[in-house]
Amino acid sequence: MAGVQVGKRIIGADSPVTVGWENIGRVEGGPFKQLFFTYFQPAVLFALIAFWFYAPNQWALASIGIAIGLGFKVFLLGLEWVNPRYRSWQLTWKEFATDVFYVGLGYTILRMLDSYIGDGIMVEAVQGAFDWDKFAWFTGLPLLVQALLISMIFDFGQYWMHRGMHNWYPLWLTHAPHHYITQLNINKGAVGNPVELFLIGLGVGGFFDFLPRAFLLAGAIGMAVGTYQHINVRFNTPAWWRFIFNTTEHHSVHHSQDYQATRSNYSGTWIIWDRIFGTCVDGEAELLGMEGGRRMDIRETMTFPFTEGYKSVKAALGRRTGGGGTTAPQLEPAE
Amino acid sequence: MSGQSGGIADERVGPWSQPQSSEALGGRRLKLPFIDNIWRVRGELLLDKPIAPDEAFARLDPLFRAPGTTYNVDDDTLTYTKRNPAAQDPLATFTRGSLRIAPQGRGSVLRYDLSSTALLLCFLAPLLFLAFAQIAVGMNAWEKANVEASEQGKKDEDKPKAIKKLNPIDEFLGAPAPEDPSKKKDKKKDKGRHSPTPAYVLAGLFFTIYLVGRVLEPWLIRRRLRSALAEA
Repeated sequence: MAGVQVGKRIIGADSPVTVGWENIGRVEGGPFKQLFFTYFQPAVLFALIAFWFYAPNQWALASIGIAIGLGFKVFLLGLEWVNPRYRSWQLTWKEFATDVFYVGLGYTILRMLDSYIGDGIMVEAVQGAFDWDKFAWFTGLPLLVQALLISMIFDFGQYWMHRGMHNWYPLWLTHAPHHYITQLNINKGAVGNPVELFLIGLGVGGFFDFLPRAFLLAGAIGMAVGTYQHINVRFNTPAWWRFIFNTTEHHSVHHSQDYQATRSNYSGTWIIWDRIFGTCVDGEAELLGMEGGRRMDIRETMTFPFTEGYKSVKAALGRRTGGGGTTAPQLEPAE
Repeated sequence: MSGQSGGIADERVGPWSQPQSSEALGGRRLKLPFIDNIWRVRGELLLDKPIAPDEAFARLDPLFRAPGTTYNVDDDTLTYTKRNPAAQDPLATFTRGSLRIAPQGRGSVLRYDLSSTALLLCFLAPLLFLAFAQIAVGMNAWEKANVEASEQGKKDEDKPKAIKKLNPIDEFLGAPAPEDPSKKKDKKKDKGRHSPTPAYVLAGLFFTIYLVGRVLEPWLIRRRLRSALAEA
């Protein structure tokens, strides 16, 4: 496979990756379908921003945000059936049940654990150590500016954490199970080892004491953009959206079986971070996963970082002591 | 085709997933006539025209040529096992089973007996989430007891937070003014910070997913077997 040169890298040498917006598929169908799948994403984004901007205080609650998020996901599951990007990513009963299990862990036991060891505790500690009243001018900024700052600062942290996961072996071990997904569906973002889900959730946006409404607005932006990372729906996403926001096309490249392609598109919401730091590849891929598309089951996903970590440490110690430790090939970080 | 075995086994296939004869498979199974309906699916497919086992299994062969699958044909019976099948494997839900073809009247009948670990785990998943709910309830009670103990003889030294103001641009655009942040706190304290509700919802959701799967997956597999056998 020849691949395509993007910057200094050859993308698609190991596995097919479509590079360039002009080469990716488009929505097929009548004018209404075309219109719907072209303007759906921006319409939802602006509607959610308007809702959270004007919602009365008794509605401006995190629980309402979660409920809207769940309803939105159910609707998007319907869209996956109506207009799939690839038939080979069609959601099956078993895949759905597996995905819901990971989502369920996130809403229950992991959330509980996170409340004791997560970023909330660290934020509280940092806020207690400094006189953050000096930053009170932040809350005087217009709501949308605050929301954009929260969203971009949080995503900036996620970008580097994600990039770190692809560059540093111990972090990669926690992230690798997520790269064994072989198709993108709406709940696939939750699939992964709990340690990784905890690490990727660490945010720096929380250090600043923004208005609650600004947080809800930022959450809405994250939801109305980030949710599309893992989705099997074909959209004619507008060019401006693809330029500033992450899309399912970008993320499919990141999950592709092509090694170099996985070294791209690290951001969650703002693809401009990738553009700024030179890791953006515009395109899409159908063949996803690791080891030629081997699916990882739940048990292996839970134990992988520990079993692989143990093997690596054992091999390293074996080499150091000159005991002829096993030199079995290790999984390389995807960057 | 008697005694034939095959499949595309990945490198991680363990000795337990080697091809087994139907006797071995049947002999190892527990006799649980009602309970095993949770994860087992049995049925038969009547075929109008008589079909020899060799030909029937040749038509079904593409279903078993998948990564992680090992199978064995012994006369009129095909047995198979799958280890972590691919997402789009048509038999992904049923990771073990046997299919037997026999003459019946003027035609033939395919009798199948399939097992699904996924259905069993899905059936058990509500118990896991109910356990998470109980952990949440327990943690709330434990935290409440701790807070009450630590608050005895100690004055509330938290200084009330100032009510924040909106930016004039937001005021002009009509955004509602922020609430007094000190009001909301007390409500949350009474309920505890770990809500068991998501765990209860998920327990219910998994029970629903199980029921849907128990009906849908046997229907789909029957349809797949029928269409595979109908192919010329």
